Amino acid sequence: MNTPFRLDEHRRRPQPPLSLPPDRYFEQLPTRIMQRVPTAAPSPLAGGWLTALSAPLRTALASAAVLGGFAAAFLLSPGATVQPLATASLAQVPRAELVQYLLASEQRVTLADLAELPGAAQNAPTGTLQASPEELQELLDAQSAEEAYL
Amino acid sequence: MEDQEILAKFRDPAARNVAFNQLVRKYQSKVYWHVRKMVVDHDDADDLTQDVFIKVWNHLENFRQDASLFTWIYRIATNECLSFLGSKRRKFFLPLNDVGAELTAKIEADESLAGDEVELKLQKAILRLPDKQRLVFNLRYYDEMPYEQMAEVTGTSVGALKASYHHAAKKIEQYINDHAQND
Repeated sequence: MNTPFRLDEHRRRPQPPLSLPPDRYFEQLPTRIMQRVPTAAPSPLAGGWLTALSAPLRTALASAAVLGGFAAAFLLSPGATVQPLATASLAQVPRAELVQYLLASEQRVTLADLAELPGAAQNAPTGTLQASPEELQELLDAQSAEEAYL
Repeated sequence: MEDQEILAKFRDPAARNVAFNQLVRKYQSKVYWHVRKMVVDHDDADDLTQDVFIKVWNHLENFRQDASLFTWIYRIATNECLSFLGSKRRKFFLPLNDVGAELTAKIEADESLAGDEVELKLQKAILRLPDKQRLVFNLRYYDEMPYEQMAEVTGTSVGALKASYHHAAKKIEQYINDHAQND
C-alpha cells in the first residue's frame, strides 16, 4: 500500500515547473512596456487644482458653471432681439392695409373693435377746448358715422 | 535602487521615464511569475504583465504609500489575473473545472514536467482549485509570503487566508491520494 501523500513532506520547488520564457525576454520587456506608456506626462491643469477641492465644492462649482452657461445662452439668444424688430416692422405697415387685413380675416373683428375714441390732440391750444356742451354735440351730430369711427 | 528613490524620481517629470524603467526592471520578474502561475500560458502572462505595468504607470502618481510599492504592484497584478480568468470563463461560458482542465492541458504539454508523476499530479490538483484559493496557495506555498502581506495583497483577513490555505492543502492531498489509488 502506498504512503498517503502529505504536502508538508513533499519536496517544495521554488517555482511551479513551468517552461521558462523565451531567451532575453526580461531584457526586452521594459522596452516593450515603455513603448506602450503614454508619452505625455499628466497635465497639472487636467485636474491639479480641481482635485485639491473637496467633492461638494467641486459639485457646487460644476453646478454654477452649468447655470451660468444657461443664463448666458438665454441672454444672448436671438429671441431676445426679435420682439423690438417685430414691433418696428409692424409700425411700418400702412394703417389702411392693417384694417383691410383684420376685416378680411375670420377673426370676427368688427368696426367697433377698431374704433378710436376721438380725443383732443395733446398739442392743441387750450383755447379750442373752451366749447360748451351744446356746441360739442352739434359738431358730433354734424359728422358722419364713418368719419367718427375710422 | 530603493523604492523611495524611484518614487521621488517619478514625481520629477524630467526623470519620470527613467524612474519607471528602473521600476519595471526591479519588479518585472516577480510580476511575471506571479501572473504566470495563475494563467500558466506564457503569452497570456506576457500580455497581463504589460497591462499591470501600464496600470502602475497610470496610477503611480496617486500611490499613497499606505502599503509598500511591491505589495501595491502585487495587488494590481492579482486583480488583473482574477479579472482575466473571470472574463475568460464568462466569454466562453465555461464552468470552473473546464478552465482548470484547459490549464492542466497546458501544463501537461510542458516538457519540464516529463517523468515527474507526483509533481504533475500536484500541479493538476493546484489547477483544480478555485481561482482565489489557488492565488492564496501560490502566494503561501511558492512565494512564502507572510500572511500579513498576503492580507494586504488580497484584501482578505489573515484568519480567512489561513483557513483558505488549509482547505487548499487538504483538497490537494485528497486529489493526489485519490488518483494514486486509481493508478
